[in-house]
Amino acid sequence: MEIRFHGRGGQGAVTGVRILATALFYDGKFTQGIPMYGTERRGAPVVSFLRVGDERINERDLVHEPDMVVVLDPLLGRTVPITEGLKKGGLVLINHPKGGKETGLGGKFKVATVDATSIALEVIGRPITNTAILGAFAKVTGMVTLEAIEKAISEQWSGRVADMNVRAVRKAYEMVSEPVDVSGVKPVDVVKPVPGDRDVSSWRLFKPEMDKGKCIGCRRCYILCPEVAISMVDNKADINYRYCKGCGICVEECPVKAIEFVQETI
Amino acid sequence: MSKPVPLSKLDEKEFIVPANSACQGCAGSIVARIVSKVIGEDMVRQEVACCGPAFGNITQPVFYGEVFEGAGAMMTGFARAFNRLGRDDIRVTGIIGDGGTTDIGFQGLSASAERNEDMLWVCYDNEAYMNTGGQRSSATTKFAATTTTPVGEFSRGKKERKKPLPILVGVHRVPYMATASVAYPEDFIGKLQYAKPVKGFRFIQVSAPCPTGWNYDPRYSVKVAKEMVLSGLWPLYEVVEGALRITYKPKELKPVKDVLRSQGRFRHITDEEVDEIQGEVDEFWGRLQEKDGGPLF
Ligand SMILES: Cc1ncc(C[n+]2csc(CCOP(=O)(O)OP(=O)(O)O)c2C)c(N)n1
Ligand code: SF4
Ligand code: SF4
Repeated sequence: MEIRFHGRGGQGAVTGVRILATALFYDGKFTQGIPMYGTERRGAPVVSFLRVGDERINERDLVHEPDMVVVLDPLLGRTVPITEGLKKGGLVLINHPKGGKETGLGGKFKVATVDATSIALEVIGRPITNTAILGAFAKVTGMVTLEAIEKAISEQWSGRVADMNVRAVRKAYEMVSEPVDVSGVKPVDVVKPVPGDRDVSSWRLFKPEMDKGKCIGCRRCYILCPEVAISMVDNKADINYRYCKGCGICVEECPVKAIEFVQETI
Repeated sequence: MSKPVPLSKLDEKEFIVPANSACQGCAGSIVARIVSKVIGEDMVRQEVACCGPAFGNITQPVFYGEVFEGAGAMMTGFARAFNRLGRDDIRVTGIIGDGGTTDIGFQGLSASAERNEDMLWVCYDNEAYMNTGGQRSSATTKFAATTTTPVGEFSRGKKERKKPLPILVGVHRVPYMATASVAYPEDFIGKLQYAKPVKGFRFIQVSAPCPTGWNYDPRYSVKVAKEMVLSGLWPLYEVVEGALRITYKPKELKPVKDVLRSQGRFRHITDEEVDEIQGEVDEFWGRLQEKDGGPLF
């Protein structure tokens, strides 16, 4: 069986695959975890692969036609063709707050969802979804035991960090939805980034919301936004959400707290 | 002598394309944007293989050098060529990481400074080789965990102190040398505006925290930079024709402890290690104050 993982730099797709490969090995399987290295930075789309079988695997290629796709980020599919090459009747497990039919994915496969971002924020305190998704993986595939995942996690981390991640795994195991068939669903188009006019809005987990009434026009957020997403309109700061990655610097730096950080709704 | 520029004095013109491919909350991006904005139309830019190309979608002409040791030599070539062509309006400007400045680029930097080549070298200092995954550089602060100085049974992080590069450049007797920080954009812009028309070698090292490499939440990039200035870890000063001047004087320095502990790369450090850094910061700040208003050496 071949699996492709999609995530963003910083969400831990590579570490997630390593933990899962280790756990599968503890359950008596042969596994390969294959990271893909490039110049990917935090927030940029990344992939990694996993191969698993009951016998020794001699193949060393990357995975091109996966049986399953695991997606760590709910909005990644807007700009990355995450179901490309997925086998007919395959399975997508995606971090998404809604049901399988409402993820924008459609075709001859099934979709299971788990709200791993909320679980990670609640249990770990940071939106790192790579371990939570493993709990959901265990439930929907039945291929790996929770005990093996927990053992693999305790080798990666220790103490409080390990405990938090184990709790995230258990919670996702409970919360993941049943895979549903989406062959009747019309998929939302994938829009590839345009050079010179990149849309980075899908990077955001939190959105800066401006209260123009409070803004005193000091221009601090305008000069400090790393994406140059803020302009001054009638001496009030104005955010162009197409260019905003949701870093939160403007929220922190506004001297009159005119900008609030609210979790993105999907 | 530079003067802080109020943000209300800036025009709306931008030379950088919005939304880059750098990390969320990258302070280096802020440096590139401000440099492109202040130097403006006259800029010809040099980049090497740092994170710079990820955030430098700048519309002014750029020359890209794959290897770090080449920055000083390439900028020398451009500066001299434009001079021959009679284009004294052009400002050859480097936007270069700390690795490409303090270590691998250092001989080219020192040689260009010694020859007083007509260039502005802006180093955005994220204290490690971030583009290749966060290896220590000579600009990394002592005890920081990096991928080549991990913390474990036999290692407490980086063993050596941060190289005092601004002082080193200053003793080359260049016309202008300054430190700056993304947290003080008025001061940084003032320094760029002062440096822009000066002939000869000009150098500004800008503190630009990196959420990925320093391991803190991206929203705190500017806050961390500010705390570094307020605690004296990164004092703001300049050297104009040999005379040193502190450009921002906190009444009293904050203890370094809090800003160090707010970064994942220092999470492991003990109270004794904090004290060691505190001692060095106090000593350096004391010396700066002694020299303030007088010759650097
Ligand atoms: C002579 C040389 N050695 C190694 C490299 C490979 N390399 C590319 S980017 C990079 C890291 C650059 O670090 P720094 O200058 O601090 O800039 P940052 O990546 O932090 O922006 C390295 C080592 C190179 N391009 N040239
Ligand atoms: S959250 Fe970050 S990217 Fe978005 S407008 Fe604020 S500073 Fe710019
Ligand atoms: S920092 Fe706050 S007050 Fe200043 S321009 Fe931005 S929103 Fe307005």
